[in-house]
Amino acid sequence: MKGSAAVELAEATRAPSAGINRGISILDLILRIVALVCTLGSAIAMGTTNETLPFFTQFIRFRAEYNDLPTFTFFVAANAVVSGYLLLSLPISIFHIMRSGAQNSRILLIILDTSMLALLTAGASASAAIVYLAHNGNAKANWLSICQQFNSFCERISGSLIGSFGAVTVFILLILLSGMALSRR
Amino acid sequence: MKSGDLTTSNVPQELSAVSKGKAPLLPVTAAPARPGGWRKGIAIFDFIIRLCAMAAALAAAAAMGTSDQTLPFFTQFFQFQASYDDLPTFQFFVIAMGIVAGYLLLSLPFSIVTIVRPFAVGPRVLLLIFDTVALTLTTAAGAAAAAIVYLAHNGNQNTNWLAICQQFGDFCQKVSGAVVASFIAVVLFVFLVVLSAMALRRT
Repeated sequence: MKGSAAVELAEATRAPSAGINRGISILDLILRIVALVCTLGSAIAMGTTNETLPFFTQFIRFRAEYNDLPTFTFFVAANAVVSGYLLLSLPISIFHIMRSGAQNSRILLIILDTSMLALLTAGASASAAIVYLAHNGNAKANWLSICQQFNSFCERISGSLIGSFGAVTVFILLILLSGMALSRR
Repeated sequence: MKSGDLTTSNVPQELSAVSKGKAPLLPVTAAPARPGGWRKGIAIFDFIIRLCAMAAALAAAAAMGTSDQTLPFFTQFFQFQASYDDLPTFQFFVIAMGIVAGYLLLSLPFSIVTIVRPFAVGPRVLLLIFDTVALTLTTAAGAAAAAIVYLAHNGNQNTNWLAICQQFGDFCQKVSGAVVASFIAVVLFVFLVVLSAMALRRT
């Protein structure tokens, strides 16, 4: 008697909960596309930095590129990997819209999303540390700030961080959405 | 005293009646009693990993915070002291690892609640949210400090930044060790998030 009442209750709540799950999956897809655009933009913005000052001497360097600093190379590589992953995870996200009750694929997506979040955050914050150093230098370590000479290079590398950190926020939301979709009964 | 005697004397009777199948069970809630087997195992594992991550975060903050080094010689004009204070990135690292270690300490009761009640969804979702945020904070602090440590070890010719590790060997060692501890904490946090997600499954 009690068992059948519980089954009826479950069936009555299944239809709206499936609708909410579908809404969560659609939001997941939209956020994934937003993150793809952000990381791709950041990788391209950092990767196409190239500034040459109009004067030169025989010994001193007056050119700045992203691969002068290994941290920026890591940044471009990390953003490229994450945007490639997001592109490949779009079909799985579309599958979740159609089959809202899928659990194993959602867990796989959470595992991969968490790893990519860690990679992306590492690249973005390491670059942020170097950009801070490029803007301000460090008197105690005798590291001079290079932004006073290379203005547009500095602007470009600072701007490319914005897209990357935006994608980090979107990834956190993606993980939370997947967790909520998993836990709804 | 008398009512206490009555209640203590009733309990063995009820139990024996239950074992003989005559008496009704405890009041039935929405779901019958289910074995919480693998969820409880995941929750216990979660608790242990949380303790390890707290140890790693504390070790990272402590190693970076006590990384002062003063060279045994000096002149009138040059600085021969190195401390984490000199670099704002390292200050951020110490503060962030301290926050993360404090958060892990405060999340231990929630973890215990998920062990005791394996089917509670609320604490697990809360832990998932905050673990994800803490993962991001730890990774940010660790990676930023790693970039500066890499620069301290190798310098950079194109920007004329000299490596300082050749002079300040002990400082560099401690700081590198702190960064390694923070990356261990990052890996443990990834495990924590994945465990919370697996324990949230419906079946």
